Amino acid sequence: MNVVEIDHITKTFSGHRAVDGLSLTVPEGSIYGFIGPNGSGKSTTLRMIMRIYYPDTGSGKILVLGQHVHGAANDRIGYLPEERGLYKKMKVRDALRFYAEIQGMRDYKSAIRHWLERMELSDWADKKIETLSKGMAQKIQFISAVIAKPSLVILDEPFSGLDPVNMDVLREAVLELRREGSTIIFSTHDMGVAEKMCDYIFMIFKGKKVLDGTLDTLKDEYGQDTIRVILPDHNGNLSDMEHVEKVTDFGRTQELRIVPGTDSQQILAALMQRGRITHFELTRPSLHDIFVRIAGPEAQQVQPPVALEEVHHA
Amino acid sequence: MHKTFVIAMREYQAAVRTKTFIITLVLMPVMMGGGVGVQFLLHDKVDTKDKHIAIVDLTGQLYESINGAAQERNEHEIFREEDDTQKQILPRYMIEQVKPTTTERDELLFSLSERVRNEEILGFVIIEPDSIENSDPNPMRQALSYYSNSPTYDDVLKWIDDPINEQIQIRRMIKANLDADIVMRATQKHRMANLGLVEKDEDGHITKAQQTNEVANILVPLGMMMLMFMTIMIGAQPLVHSVLEEKMQRISEVLLGSVPPFQLMMGKLLGMVGVSMTIGTIYLIGSAVAIHYAGYGEMFPAHIVWWFLVFQGLAVLMFGSLFIAVGAAVSDLKEANNVMTPMTLVMVAPMFVWMNVVREPSSMFSTVLSLIPPVTPMLMTIRQAVPPGVPVWQPLVGVVLMLITTVGCVFIAGRIFRIGILTQGKAPSFREAMSWVARG
Repeated sequence: MNVVEIDHITKTFSGHRAVDGLSLTVPEGSIYGFIGPNGSGKSTTLRMIMRIYYPDTGSGKILVLGQHVHGAANDRIGYLPEERGLYKKMKVRDALRFYAEIQGMRDYKSAIRHWLERMELSDWADKKIETLSKGMAQKIQFISAVIAKPSLVILDEPFSGLDPVNMDVLREAVLELRREGSTIIFSTHDMGVAEKMCDYIFMIFKGKKVLDGTLDTLKDEYGQDTIRVILPDHNGNLSDMEHVEKVTDFGRTQELRIVPGTDSQQILAALMQRGRITHFELTRPSLHDIFVRIAGPEAQQVQPPVALEEVHHA
Repeated sequence: MHKTFVIAMREYQAAVRTKTFIITLVLMPVMMGGGVGVQFLLHDKVDTKDKHIAIVDLTGQLYESINGAAQERNEHEIFREEDDTQKQILPRYMIEQVKPTTTERDELLFSLSERVRNEEILGFVIIEPDSIENSDPNPMRQALSYYSNSPTYDDVLKWIDDPINEQIQIRRMIKANLDADIVMRATQKHRMANLGLVEKDEDGHITKAQQTNEVANILVPLGMMMLMFMTIMIGAQPLVHSVLEEKMQRISEVLLGSVPPFQLMMGKLLGMVGVSMTIGTIYLIGSAVAIHYAGYGEMFPAHIVWWFLVFQGLAVLMFGSLFIAVGAAVSDLKEANNVMTPMTLVMVAPMFVWMNVVREPSSMFSTVLSLIPPVTPMLMTIRQAVPPGVPVWQPLVGVVLMLITTVGCVFIAGRIFRIGILTQGKAPSFREAMSWVARG
């Protein structure tokens, strides 16, 4: 069963198309990652799934948990917006009680206790929100989104601004929710997180869908055109090498995108001319690289984005 | 409905559990009644230093009598009994006779003016030589003049007028061979008592008419109107800031994930109606108790309390919904204040006409005005608080018209709120806002 079914929806703000003819299906129990540059339409799409925005009249339809969006707000959806919103003067426990109640929850005491312990925030239960650090407030906001055990959890940039420890805590909580049967949709700019956590990845660029599928299928589409290499003694630039389209310098590691059809042994031989090699790996492009290929300045100079449907139809 | 209640409760608790609420509760009446209270406390804090007044009596007949009247006043009229002692609460008037040493009138006036400027005397009176004569038919002729350098202090002027004129009248009567004593008694005026109407009590007996207390009859309606204004302001105005804050901090976005916009708005509105009602009830009970202990229990308009609360609730809903719409549509406080100014003017409009309405509560002007919804709560309350009140159909019509207007305002606000609360950036123009309302 699909938890979200979006069919050719468009959303326009003052003449600007924020979302343009978008289609998407999110299977039940999956973790679906939304990626895309800032202003590409991620949050607008999430807000439409949340029924905060409605698609343009006459455009397609959205079914969430089997219901059309033109209905009442749904207590089965938990939502963490991109910009956090908590009443600063409220105490943590009161705030969580309030959010539990507006999501239709009556028996919330044990859930509040469980989540505060889970997030290591029990000592802060009677403190005001304004006294919490940014990371703590973010965890409280997360609890408020999931406390009512929603079937669908929508998290807009849940990991941004978190330190690695808090990031782990939150990631484990998300995975626990999935284990308990919730479907998770989250947007992120962290490609590493998306690669590691998501069953499906969806990329939107300038309002159009440009990627949609499992990580493997996406990478397969691009083939094994990437070489990661470590040359400890080499300080020069590798972009002058033949059959190399692009070099991304990560400092210790260099990532080379090679011209399709090039023999990797030929590249290896050329690299050996430049110095001692301690690591040589022929691989598929990373999600980061795919992202940059689609949305980076280089791609934009060449051509406007092509929607995935258009590619498939072609 | 449950969600609306949850939102309303949060809004209510957030408002009443703050120190600001308690401070407002205490300070508001202090500020409103402060002027009156301070005046009451300072009423006997007057300068009791002797006031010297020079009299130039060009008739040569009146000075002694005026001086006698001043001494009489100084002995008997400037003290107040206080714990078996006499406390002086007014200054003594020391009358000094100035006999003109120069025939140059201007010189005389100048020298006396100099004495006033040097603060030797407070002022001086010129009694013209022909002031006793009754030959000049021109009533504008200045037979008596008071000169001073303190135009706002008119106590002396008010007092001295009577003894001089009385002496002039007596002398005129003597000249006309009339018995001054008889004439004075014959022309003595009676004071008119200002009374209410008589009624029949439960046993069929006709009750005594009550003495009308003019001050109370103005103060009670004024107090009720101010209380209405205050409770509307306390209930409605914070909604602009509250909605704006939730919008800018994206709290509303979280809430809208679980609560439809209209329920969210209604929750906020009802929460603030609760806050306003709490304050209104506290002040009404407080006023009733205070008036009762002061011995004026019958002055408290208990019969209009329910009407008051109904009008108050509707007014908070009506103005509050419009303030919510403003908070949702704008992006910062400056923009909000620009839009709120005309709305606040409508709220204070009854203050410009309240005196006319108190004086003539049943006139066509007062009746029609009190049925115009935005001003109905304050003006109808004034009219109801002035005895004998208004026919019951009038507040009923007022409530119905208020109800219709309130539903309209809530409807309009609901549509603006739904779109505005998620719109960032420039505030919409009036035309854009209306298109939000039309589009829904």
